Amino acid sequence: MTISGEVIDTWCYFSGVMGPPDSVTGSAHHTCAMWCAAGGIPVGVLAEDGTVYMVMKWQDETGASGGGTILSVQSDSVTASGDLYERDGINYLVVADVVDNSGLVNQNHDDWGVVPPYAIPKSAKP
Amino acid sequence: MILRTAAIAALLATPVLAEGAFSEGSKAKGWGVAGEEKALFTGKVVDILCELTGDCPADCGAGDRQMGIVRDADNVLVLASKNSQPAFTGAARELAPFCGQTVEVDGNLVGDTDLTPAKFYQIQTIRPLDAEAVVKANTWTKVWAQLNPEAKEVKGPWFRKDPKINALIAESGYLGLGLETDAEFIDEWFE
Repeated sequence: MTISGEVIDTWCYFSGVMGPPDSVTGSAHHTCAMWCAAGGIPVGVLAEDGTVYMVMKWQDETGASGGGTILSVQSDSVTASGDLYERDGINYLVVADVVDNSGLVNQNHDDWGVVPPYAIPKSAKP
Repeated sequence: MILRTAAIAALLATPVLAEGAFSEGSKAKGWGVAGEEKALFTGKVVDILCELTGDCPADCGAGDRQMGIVRDADNVLVLASKNSQPAFTGAARELAPFCGQTVEVDGNLVGDTDLTPAKFYQIQTIRPLDAEAVVKANTWTKVWAQLNPEAKEVKGPWFRKDPKINALIAESGYLGLGLETDAEFIDEWFE
């Protein structure tokens, strides 16, 4: 099975804790997405039709430690092949191979700023 | 103005809390997030990859695999997404020590049902059925500090000083679009 979509932070996307779904994707949410992935929160792939595939394995990495490749692809638009499992309303994806990575395509920071606003510390300003 | 008025209004919207089928007896604290319902239930702690694929390490991956609970009441596999710390931290490390055990868990089922047919679990406490005391699901940052002894000495929360995150920010910026784009944005963001 091949899935195309944006690699997202699923906790912020589904919980609304930081704002509406569109605000917690793309460049606006990139830093927070890295925080959540590194923190072991499940990463997802958001397909164009709105379906979210919960990633249980990313090539050789099992995902919950969040420190490897899965961290470096946050917010990227990818095409991945692998196995899909549906159980109790959730789509689980076991990624065998990343066929394509177009990089960070969803550049939405002009619409939303950064979400959350403290994602960039004041110390980042020269 | 980068962050427009409509965006601010949307960010400040407060979700409605609800009672759910497993709310009775729950002592979970509310987080005020979408679709939130308190949920106290018993079930078996499972490594989700094992549950789906049959690839089953004895320790459920020791916190390196996403974890869930197969609920006794209805055999539903509940994906545990979040622990009880408000610090961008997941649930796998909290549940892994209870791999294969039947436990009682308390927390919140969460999720905007316009986006997902199934809710996810924000776990707050875990209690093996043969134990009286509950274990708080709040150990992630303590484990992080053990794994990052140098970084933990730096002032600030873990996510500001995690070496892997900071290396990526140094390479491609907070927006992920490169340092030049970052610099232009930051100038405007902090005006």
